[in-house]
Amino acid sequence: MSDIEKLVDTAESGTGVSRRAILQFFGIVGASAALGSTVTACAGPQSSGAANGGGSSGTGGKLSIVLNRNLVSLDNKLNQYDAAVTVQRAVRQALTRIGPDLKPELVLAEKFELTSPTVWTVKLRSDVHYSDKSPVTVEDVETALKLYFQVKAGYVASQFPEQPTFAKVDDKTFTLTTKKPVVTLDSLMSNILITPAKANKAEELREGIGSGPFKVASADSGTGTYRLVRNDDHWGEKALLDEVNVSYQEEEGARVIAITSGQADVIDTITPESATALKKKNDIELVQEPGTRLIHLFYNFRKPAGHPLTNPKVREALSHAVDHDSLISSLMNGLVKSAEGVVPKTLAGFAKTGEYTFDPAKAKSMLAAESVSNLKLTFIWEESEFAGAARVMEALVDMLGDVGVKATLKEIPKGGDINTWRRGEAGDWDVLGNGYGNQTGLAITNLQGQYAGTAAKEKTRDTYHGFVFPEVTNLLDQASAEPDAAKRDTLLKQAQEKIWALWPAMWAWTPDNVLAKRKRVATLELSPTNSYDLSKVKVSG
Amino acid sequence: MTDVAAPSGIARRLLRRSAAARKARYSTIKIWVGAICAGIVIIPVALARVLPLPDPVHGVLKETSLPPFSPGHLLGTDPNGRDLLSRILHGGQTSLLIGVLAIALSGVIGIAAGAAAGYFGGWVDTIVSRLLEAQMSLPLLLMLLLVVALFGPSVPVITLVIAVAQWPEPARLTRALVLVEREKPYVAAAQVLGLGRLKIIVRHIVPNILSQTLVVVFLLLAQAVLLESALSFLGAGVQRPYPTWGGIISDGRELFVTGAWWLVTIPGIAIALLVLGVNLLGDGLRDRVRRAKAVTG
Repeated sequence: MSDIEKLVDTAESGTGVSRRAILQFFGIVGASAALGSTVTACAGPQSSGAANGGGSSGTGGKLSIVLNRNLVSLDNKLNQYDAAVTVQRAVRQALTRIGPDLKPELVLAEKFELTSPTVWTVKLRSDVHYSDKSPVTVEDVETALKLYFQVKAGYVASQFPEQPTFAKVDDKTFTLTTKKPVVTLDSLMSNILITPAKANKAEELREGIGSGPFKVASADSGTGTYRLVRNDDHWGEKALLDEVNVSYQEEEGARVIAITSGQADVIDTITPESATALKKKNDIELVQEPGTRLIHLFYNFRKPAGHPLTNPKVREALSHAVDHDSLISSLMNGLVKSAEGVVPKTLAGFAKTGEYTFDPAKAKSMLAAESVSNLKLTFIWEESEFAGAARVMEALVDMLGDVGVKATLKEIPKGGDINTWRRGEAGDWDVLGNGYGNQTGLAITNLQGQYAGTAAKEKTRDTYHGFVFPEVTNLLDQASAEPDAAKRDTLLKQAQEKIWALWPAMWAWTPDNVLAKRKRVATLELSPTNSYDLSKVKVSG
Repeated sequence: MTDVAAPSGIARRLLRRSAAARKARYSTIKIWVGAICAGIVIIPVALARVLPLPDPVHGVLKETSLPPFSPGHLLGTDPNGRDLLSRILHGGQTSLLIGVLAIALSGVIGIAAGAAAGYFGGWVDTIVSRLLEAQMSLPLLLMLLLVVALFGPSVPVITLVIAVAQWPEPARLTRALVLVEREKPYVAAAQVLGLGRLKIIVRHIVPNILSQTLVVVFLLLAQAVLLESALSFLGAGVQRPYPTWGGIISDGRELFVTGAWWLVTIPGIAIALLVLGVNLLGDGLRDRVRRAKAVTG
């Protein structure tokens, strides 16, 4: 039999329903079944208000918060981005806190008074204790204060003009003494969270006990998931919620889906695009407050002498190249305000020193007058440091290109070594896109942290990107020591004017705090510091 | 013996339904569909610099996030007001350039190493085979991310990394084919005639296996484009503001849920069309080469 005959035989034997046809049929049925179940499983977000099993009255119930950054610790020695503060202060408390009017209020302290120009006397409340009912002691405060200053690259410590010296007076009273007067110490101490001395370390605390209205039921700092339950033994007003579940989701889209589908009750620090989209949802509300976080394109003040960026005229010229109105309207949906000084105007002690203006012709002529041509700048920023960071930076490339400046972008991934870059140890850069939060409500906190650099601090790279101008530092030191509020504000104004004249930033802006919550979250008071008191949050339905 | 030259009408009909004829038809369909899918993407990408398109890097902020079919912007714009069509086509040039260079390089490395291993055997084969196994045991994307993190993201680095990552495929096939070829009489004849071993490999063996190997190398193009896109998506690709497919999708993903679907969907379709097209075309060509080889054999 030839090959052809074999083929014909094979084909003829296949009349009727062949094995291939049966296999194809079952294949199609199987694929349809699999596709159907997958499509069902992947169906779009559906609203389900009962996802978190909330209580029906005003008290009790659970709240689910999805943060945009990993809450790697339950204290703030190194990790104090705005939303983290909400959770950290639910577990740990400080001697004071910043109230809605941005003024210090007493928490663990019963008295926090300036008893002489350089001495503050503090008395702890007699009834304060931790969730295990052990009392809060003066030794705990001493240890906490010491450890905040011991931790390397500490963010909180840098806001203190100097480390106060602790002295115990009695079991409930102690003094904090400084070499020079620090008149805002009561506000600054709101950032020192108190933990039992034995459990405290010079590092981030990822679990453990505190004196706050919630206690930690489970914590996984790796995945950023925490379960907090009400501290029924809390010394003060009890929390209204039974439980708070905290997780994080880097993807803005995933957070929007989480709140739309009812998996999350609150998402904070949302982007302008998400805010616009969520406004249209019936079961979601937006809470918007003017913020205290300054975002700026800060110049590198560690450039060698002779570099164009060491010239304030060049720095000013570059700022005229930034079309901030277009950036605000197109990329930020109008949810930010261009800075009118070197700190956000929401802060006490702010002084208006000028405005950023867009004038590319002036930028070009100023650069030409300073004989600067073919300037090349490297921009760095940490991924998602602020809403739409990459888009803003890409737009800047365009704008600077229009005045003859070539910009190169380097985005540092989240969790990467941005601190090493900022300290100038990972490579050279010219402009940093960075956000600077404020938890005290005071302009002097920002000014001290950013502009009070000294040569000694710069040796250890502990200044704000090399900004060391002794005349500014002196003014800020004088302001820190000035007990008279009016005189202090005058000194701060002078310092801010001097700083502005140095053009430390290409552009700066303050975003509004925008938080989205499901309507079942009845009360949530967002403060200008972009945090809220979890113990007062109520859910319904 | 039956006369094969003139099958009856019924036999012709049955012949058309035979497995061999069906496979031939399928391979033709695959080649055509593949060529069309790949062509829809590759031809405009290749002509990106010639077409009257806006600059892919410079945008007009007033034209932020325009949907497709907006005046002057066929596929819409991104939040920076940059034309999406222009960004996709220019981004495709980067992806395709890296892909083509990577497969050319991996093809050369793979064919050379595989041919040497197959022909020489012994310790050469042992070294090449162990290297192949070692490389294939490494998680590909993780290795790429590591190298890019060490040497920085640039077109030469990414190309080299993908090329080195892909050489095992052609090397394994070449080695297997050369093992068969070296036993054939024409190789023995060449040896008897006194030709050098290198000359036998380059002038006689490799040309005989090249068609099959090139099809596999071509199939790697889809993988190379996907790898480049994955790297860009993860932020390890060509730096901003220059467009890449993975980068455009990465930037658009957070805006997808807010309604700007085109920023993710359209570059995603471009990648899918190219990968599908290249795979179908390569698959069809492989079937054809196999059949041709079988008939020749």
